[in-house]
Amino acid sequence: MAEQYGFYVDTSRCIKCWACQIACKQWHGIEAGTVSRRNVRETVDGTFPNVKRMFESLSCMHCDRPACFAQCAQGAISKREEDGVVVVDDEKCIGCKTCSTACPFDVPQFREAEGGGLKMDKCDTCLSIGRTEEGEPHCVASCPMQALHFGPLSEMETQAAEKGGARMEGETNPSVYVS
Amino acid sequence: MPELTRRTFFKGAAALGAAALLGGCAPQKMKESEGTNAAAPAADDAVVEVKHAWCKMCGPARTHCSTLCTVKDGRWVHVEGNPEAGNNFGRGSRTLCAKGNAAMHTVYSPTRLLYPMKRTGEKGEGKFEQITWDQALDEIAAKLKEQKEQYGPESYAVLSPQFYAVLGSLGRRFLNVHGSPNYLHSAICNSQRMFSRLVTIGGPEHAKATDTAPGQLDKTKLLVVWGYNSENSAVNQGNPYARMNAKEGGMQIVDIRPMQEGLGAHADHWLPVRPGTDTALALAFLNVIIGEDLYDHDFVENWTTGFDELAEHVKQFPPAWAAEITGLPEEQITEVARLMGTVKPMGINIGNGIGDQANDGHWTVACACIIEAITGNLGIAGGGGAGMVMPEPLIKTKGIDLLSDRLPESEEDKANGWMAGASKLVAPETPRWFQNMMTQESGPTSAYNKGLQSILTEDPYPLRFVFGQSSNPMSATRQPKTIAEALKKLDYYVVMDTAWNSSCDYADIVLPATTQYESADQFATKNSPAGTFIGINQVISEPPGETRSDWQYYLDLAVKMGYGADFWDGDIDKMLSEQLDGSGVTLEELREKGYVFKERTDGAKPTEPAYQDYEKMFANLPGGKVQCVNEWIGGKPNAMDNGTIPSLPEYTGAPESIVGTPDIAAEYPLVISDVHAYRLCNHSYYHDVPYLRELQPEPWVKINPATAKQYGIDDGDWMTVESPHGSIKMVARYFEAIAPDVLMTKRGWWEPCEELGLPGYGALDGGSEVNVLYDDNMENFDGFTSAMAKQTLVKISKSEG
Repeated sequence: MAEQYGFYVDTSRCIKCWACQIACKQWHGIEAGTVSRRNVRETVDGTFPNVKRMFESLSCMHCDRPACFAQCAQGAISKREEDGVVVVDDEKCIGCKTCSTACPFDVPQFREAEGGGLKMDKCDTCLSIGRTEEGEPHCVASCPMQALHFGPLSEMETQAAEKGGARMEGETNPSVYVS
Repeated sequence: MPELTRRTFFKGAAALGAAALLGGCAPQKMKESEGTNAAAPAADDAVVEVKHAWCKMCGPARTHCSTLCTVKDGRWVHVEGNPEAGNNFGRGSRTLCAKGNAAMHTVYSPTRLLYPMKRTGEKGEGKFEQITWDQALDEIAAKLKEQKEQYGPESYAVLSPQFYAVLGSLGRRFLNVHGSPNYLHSAICNSQRMFSRLVTIGGPEHAKATDTAPGQLDKTKLLVVWGYNSENSAVNQGNPYARMNAKEGGMQIVDIRPMQEGLGAHADHWLPVRPGTDTALALAFLNVIIGEDLYDHDFVENWTTGFDELAEHVKQFPPAWAAEITGLPEEQITEVARLMGTVKPMGINIGNGIGDQANDGHWTVACACIIEAITGNLGIAGGGGAGMVMPEPLIKTKGIDLLSDRLPESEEDKANGWMAGASKLVAPETPRWFQNMMTQESGPTSAYNKGLQSILTEDPYPLRFVFGQSSNPMSATRQPKTIAEALKKLDYYVVMDTAWNSSCDYADIVLPATTQYESADQFATKNSPAGTFIGINQVISEPPGETRSDWQYYLDLAVKMGYGADFWDGDIDKMLSEQLDGSGVTLEELREKGYVFKERTDGAKPTEPAYQDYEKMFANLPGGKVQCVNEWIGGKPNAMDNGTIPSLPEYTGAPESIVGTPDIAAEYPLVISDVHAYRLCNHSYYHDVPYLRELQPEPWVKINPATAKQYGIDDGDWMTVESPHGSIKMVARYFEAIAPDVLMTKRGWWEPCEELGLPGYGALDGGSEVNVLYDDNMENFDGFTSAMAKQTLVKISKSEG
């Protein structure tokens, strides 16, 4: 595989404004009240007044060893040779939710397909709507805080390291750095 | 090949190059779907156009963020920040906020108002019939003429929502030509804080009042964010982004707000002040800074007046006193005061939360100004003001002349030396004697709430005609019960809006407005070191039904009134061409291209401002000095015409508060307030937008879990919230980062979201409008700026919803 691409999430800049979340929906034409490919997760430490909130914007991790891919009997999930992005083929997906059980991050969601049935739905780094190799996914482009980054994973590692960040941990080796 | 329209377009990928060559919009990189996981791939032969519009999601007629709008087969489907315009962090930025990303729905909302409607039933009953625009304008004009004759032109007033360019230009021009000074300004506005800054630390005029906020944030060492809610009201306008950069460069941040918000979570010190007690905190800061000798003696000696008197005055307000009132630990108050007195350069972001939403808001701002001044932070790099001076714009346009000289000057105005119209104000926002063209933005102003109350009190006279444009008075100001009574009694109420707001049932005529995505009648410029950008709203979508532009309304009404000669004979293009005259850009060119960017080629760069230019900065202040004791407004008649304004800062507190009214607190033990702006709506609007509403489906109130559990209230439970003034129902949301005796909520839930099957909620008792809970006794409003308290005491109980 050529170099793996992935995200860097800078929690020191995220303010839970939800711009990324809605940018994703509008560009992918996702109906409100259905799936949400990117979500801002909040953790709260302590109790009032010694309390600290922390926010991180997360979507599919495009893992090095994606469990969804490994478990999909339909061959609907693939990991792209050129950039390691994990994508779903709607034609092959039967909506059986095996991937959902396999994914340690609870990423796969399911939307109703035209004509009935379910299709797995998740982040494809905007490849399906024309992102070029140099281009950014819309969540990244829309982020008013520059808290969200995307690119070759080595670049993400460098940026994260400057802020003491590290790669997210997990058996599947997620392609996401967090600081 | 499908028909090509005037704007950018391409068919599949083949026309990409051609699209890039068409001036204006950025090269179009998007290509049609190839299929994996695309939710709605467009057909290959889709006609895609990219048009320009200023984002309206921070309010109608706003021009903060330039956006590129993708229209596919005639339907607006996507939006992004225009990288050419320099939004947020500069050229290249395509950022937008959450609501900016959801803008498309405002055009297609099923709640859109489509036809002019005339009331047929009783006021408030909701019975209306459709009429033509011609009939509507004829009836409005006839009523205005009749009332002008019978009651004088001042009987006509307009409701000013947030800053609204239509009203600030054409609305004011119409008032002036008609002869009324009654621009009912909300009194919940940056304008209040500017009044307070102007009379305390000076400036050449109201709009340019000396600032306490840093003009060069990259040089600031301590930033105090006080009631300033920029992650909710201005996330894409630059400051939050720049603040995080400055923090990475070592700047410390103090955040003073009841909730730990998104940006507050990144602050070094969070002060969860009890809502409505900020003046007490400010006085204690002064007590420490002066008492511990942390001020700049040289500055105080040369550039302040009344310092010794102030020093004596604030001895009464030590941190221990403020701790009880504010709910903050004494040590924390002292610690932050010491930081403000010692870390330099220091700047203060004074927000809506303190300046204009408390009934002693003027004094909170005055104290913050004095702190900034006596610590020697005014006009220094990284301190208050002192922004870099931008090179001249390369495209210069003209504003709309307000025809201010047309407003009649009464005998009383002349005798008192007041500005024309001041004597006829129904409810002066600042005192009549204070209002002049230097202290006001664009002419005299009455206060929105007090103006509406005049209908009930008839003091000094009742307004007869109120025009509410893009403003819902049932949610925009305190106590909708009073407002409803006033609207019932009002002779004639006309609303123009995009949706049926909660005040429409009381209207005589309701007019359907276009969004700014459906009319091409507003442009704006942005100047930057790289060059000057000018952009116009293009027609992204054809106006639905009989909707008409708010700008065009004024021109059309003016023609019916016989004021046509002052309103370009009703021709909007003449109005726009006049503004563009001499700019080097024609209206035709601008409409065709959407926007033009003129690059700076002369090498001019931003220059350093004149630092510590105090003689000039304080020139308009009495004695040319910072007003530690206020000689400008102190001892003079207040805005109620019923008393005088004090000279020294006073903590008043909300009409109901834990320490101030212990008897009331015994029955109503919790403090409630609301966020003025929120990032998923614009004031009380956009709860119909599915992408936004799904993130806040029900009217929420943030409550500390420990408190909620005492009342048996679970996260997500409906609860009844009752104050001495009214009772509403809201959904409890557990939130650890708020004091156990404080609740924070959000006003304005009148819009239903049909797509998600979520209702709108009423604005009176039993509904979910927090303004029902607040006091609206005019005697309690800020005597200088008419600011109103948005804090009260409540009791809560679990309810069934």
